This record gives sequence, C-alpha cells and structure tokens, in this order.
Amino acid sequence: METTTIKATEICPTSTFKRVQEGALLVDVREENEIQQVAFNVPKIMYVPISEFEKRFSEIPQDREVILVCQSGSRSLKATYFLMNHGYTHVVNMHSGIERWIKKGFPIIGDASSVQSDSCCSSNSCC
Amino acid sequence: MKTIKILGTGCAKCKQTEAVVRQTLTNLGIEANIVKVEDIQEIMKYNIFTTPVVVVDEIVKIKGKVPTSDEIKQLLLA
Repeated sequence: METTTIKATEICPTSTFKRVQEGALLVDVREENEIQQVAFNVPKIMYVPISEFEKRFSEIPQDREVILVCQSGSRSLKATYFLMNHGYTHVVNMHSGIERWIKKGFPIIGDASSVQSDSCCSSNSCC
Repeated sequence: MKTIKILGTGCAKCKQTEAVVRQTLTNLGIEANIVKVEDIQEIMKYNIFTTPVVVVDEIVKIKGKVPTSDEIKQLLLA
C-alpha cells in the first residue's frame, strides 16, 4: 500500500465548529466509555473508536469533508494519517481534542469535568 | 547488520521497549542499528495504532506491548 508523504492538515476547535456548521462530518475516535462521559454536541457526527478503526474505517464517507477528533488530538491524528494512507483526500485532524473544545465553550453532552487534560489517551490506544 | 526501529510517541512503554532492546543486544553481544521513530506521520506509514512497535528490517514484529527480552532475543537470532 502507498503511504502518504503529505503532512496532515490540522485545524483548531473554532475552525472545526465553523466547518461542522457548513456540513463537515465529525468522526470521534474515542472509546465508548469516554463518549458516555462527554461527547461533542454537533448535528453530524459518527463514532469509530480507535480500537475498531482498522475494521470499520470504510464506514467513513470519502466524498465529504471529514474532521477526526479525540480527547487530545493524538489518536485522531493517527486516524487521519490512516485514512490518508487509504486514499481519503478530504480528511483533517482537530488538534487538542475535546479538551480544547470544552475550554473554548463549544457545545457538549455530558460532564465536562470528566475530561482530564493531563491524560495521554485511552489505555488501549496509547503507547 | 539488522535495523531495529522502535515506533512510539515517547511515552514510558516506548522507552521501556528501547531499554529492553538495547539490553538484549548488549547481553547477546550483537550489534544492530536502532532507530527511534516518534513522529506520528512516520509511525502511521506502518498503519498501526497501538504502540510501542518493534520493526526489524522493515517487518513489523511486535506491536502494542513492551516485549520481553526473550522475545527480542528470538527476533535477533531468527
């Protein structure tokens, strides 16, 4: 398989919020237990956890803008490169994750205090 | 000489993996090129989400865990 040599595009939560309003699809790669605690409150979102990403990534549409998100922006950056390596051209990563999203005051569902800003990432996807 | 890449973004498990690899090489008296890969873009060229990863001569051998010295030994002597 060809792997990309192009650097992934990364955008901030403010740009993400604007693009979602314009029709971009958010793809949250956090695990279910994390999403149950706090989730992005946007109209167009799908959940493809990193632990299932290799099996399920083809569910993500290729013909529209997709913004990958997670807790801190690290796992979603990996997912962004994974999709780029699989031929996706309209994918970007939201850096700083839901942590920054919450700090910027964008809409969520659940308990904002459940997000620990000093955490790395989920136990089964971190190094 | 084998080239051993250790893929990981710099967390404790990745550092442990490097230490195990280096210690095993020393114990066996084997020389190898050790390359640490911490850049996510470079890591994702292997399309692997779970680090640390040990790559020997561009073949992924271990992923998602800190290997034991015996596991590294088997890779090096294979």
